Amino acid sequence: MISVKQLTKNYGDRCAINNLNFTIKKGEVVGFLGPNGAGKTTTMKIITGFMAASSGQVCIDGDDVYEHPLRVKSKIGYLPETPPVYTDMYVNDYLSFVAKLKKVSHNLINENIEYALLQTQLQDVKRRLIKNLSKGYKQRVGIAGALVSKPPILILDEPTVGLDPKQVAEIRKLIIRLRGKHTILLSTHVLSEVQAICERVIIITKGEIIAEDSLEDISRKSSTTTQFEVNVLRKENVLRQTLSSMQGVLGVEHSGHKFYIQVDPEKLSTENLTKAIVDSGAGLTQFKPTMNSLEKIFIELTSSEKDLQ
Amino acid sequence: MKSMINIMMRDFKGLFFTPMFYFIASLCAFLLSYSYVRNLIDFAYSSGVPSAGIKYSLHQIVVVSHISITNIILIFAVPAITMKLISEEKKSRTYDLLLTSPVTSTQIVAGKFFGGLCASLFIVFISFLYPLGSLLFADIDLGLLLSSYIGISLVCAAYVAIGLFCSSLSSSIIASVIMGVVFNLALWFLSQGTVYSESDLLVSIMDHMSIGDHLFSFVKGALKFSSIVYFISACCLFVFLSGRVIESSRWR
Repeated sequence: MISVKQLTKNYGDRCAINNLNFTIKKGEVVGFLGPNGAGKTTTMKIITGFMAASSGQVCIDGDDVYEHPLRVKSKIGYLPETPPVYTDMYVNDYLSFVAKLKKVSHNLINENIEYALLQTQLQDVKRRLIKNLSKGYKQRVGIAGALVSKPPILILDEPTVGLDPKQVAEIRKLIIRLRGKHTILLSTHVLSEVQAICERVIIITKGEIIAEDSLEDISRKSSTTTQFEVNVLRKENVLRQTLSSMQGVLGVEHSGHKFYIQVDPEKLSTENLTKAIVDSGAGLTQFKPTMNSLEKIFIELTSSEKDLQ
Repeated sequence: MKSMINIMMRDFKGLFFTPMFYFIASLCAFLLSYSYVRNLIDFAYSSGVPSAGIKYSLHQIVVVSHISITNIILIFAVPAITMKLISEEKKSRTYDLLLTSPVTSTQIVAGKFFGGLCASLFIVFISFLYPLGSLLFADIDLGLLLSSYIGISLVCAAYVAIGLFCSSLSSSIIASVIMGVVFNLALWFLSQGTVYSESDLLVSIMDHMSIGDHLFSFVKGALKFSSIVYFISACCLFVFLSGRVIESSRWR
């Protein structure tokens, strides 16, 4: 569906993205993950035909973006970082304008608007001026705009940035609802989002792809340490000694009743660790993984050696 | 064509149904009312004074100066109306929507040009109401009046094209207004420079490029083909340039 070959973009001397290669199959939901300034937005802008690449090729359904821009653009629904809404329009009028702009045939316009409103749950505000809506609603109007032509491909650039947790949850639910109906490429720097929504993830940093796989495979490939936060009631020193002597425990730190334990998951399973703590009679009150493994992988992959030091 | 009309309608509504437009239109109406009444009074005085056997008509005194006042108002009002056309899109990022939609840059600028033209012609319409009202009780040459207003409408179109181009250059609406006004004034004053020029060629070139000379021929009742071509080509040139500016963001 989307194939990106040797894509490079330079802004003057600065290289924004360098030799990107990836393909996205029909119906997939792919997360485009990277720290700020990694080149996510640049890549998306090139895929949508907003700007041209310095070199390389992007094909949508076999059509080159640069050679057949009109054909490609009618297949893509794009939500930029800032939702592209005309604040002086009503939600309904805006969607109708976008539908016409996207060349939706005349008799389908109303049906498509209803579809977009339904998916984004905007029916209540369809007769309101966009400038009077909250940021979360504006974001949803932006998504509705991307959906209104029922495009086979949806490209969403950080769809949940700047929203409150409830709105974030709603937008995620919305994207999950759209899964299967559209091929979705979604950029974000929030990991839990990728975990919640995406089937596959492309991790990009400093303009280069450093990992591209399904989430499970990425976690499996990287053997990393896992960290737990443990609260106990008593016998801190005994527990400390017990833990330090166990195989697979890489480090123990504690302050008062609180312990931070680093574990190599290959050598020591979580089950054995909890058993050891309980058996020590320290009175376990809390046990939680502090850094989820994906987050760790992400930080390890996206930081250079120098950053880590 | 459909896409162009779609963009044109949106831009026309976006420009027309705003408090800003009402403010500009009422300001223009205020200035025109003031000057028109003054012109009428001038005419009333001059018709009582015998001036070496020459009798000036209502058109020569009132309509001519009304048209030139309208032109001066348009120099400032049109950039203030058209400033939003592209600058605002760039600022609010709706530009991204236009550029990622299946429309060509020609359709975008043509739609915006006609949208801006419809809104700006409303100011010309306001100005037209004054001589139209005078027709009820005075004798104004209708042919001359119409040719004058065809002329000022074409001038308005040229200003809209220039305003559109200036708007495409910047994402700041203030910068695009200032550029637009300076451009319009430059075209208006171009023929003034010919006074000090010794080269006949230069004089004729600058005369031809100046808006004032072309407008004057319309006011005199001459629908000159060269003037019509001048205005249409000015519109096409600046709309084309705006299209290039939009296109440039795709290969920058």
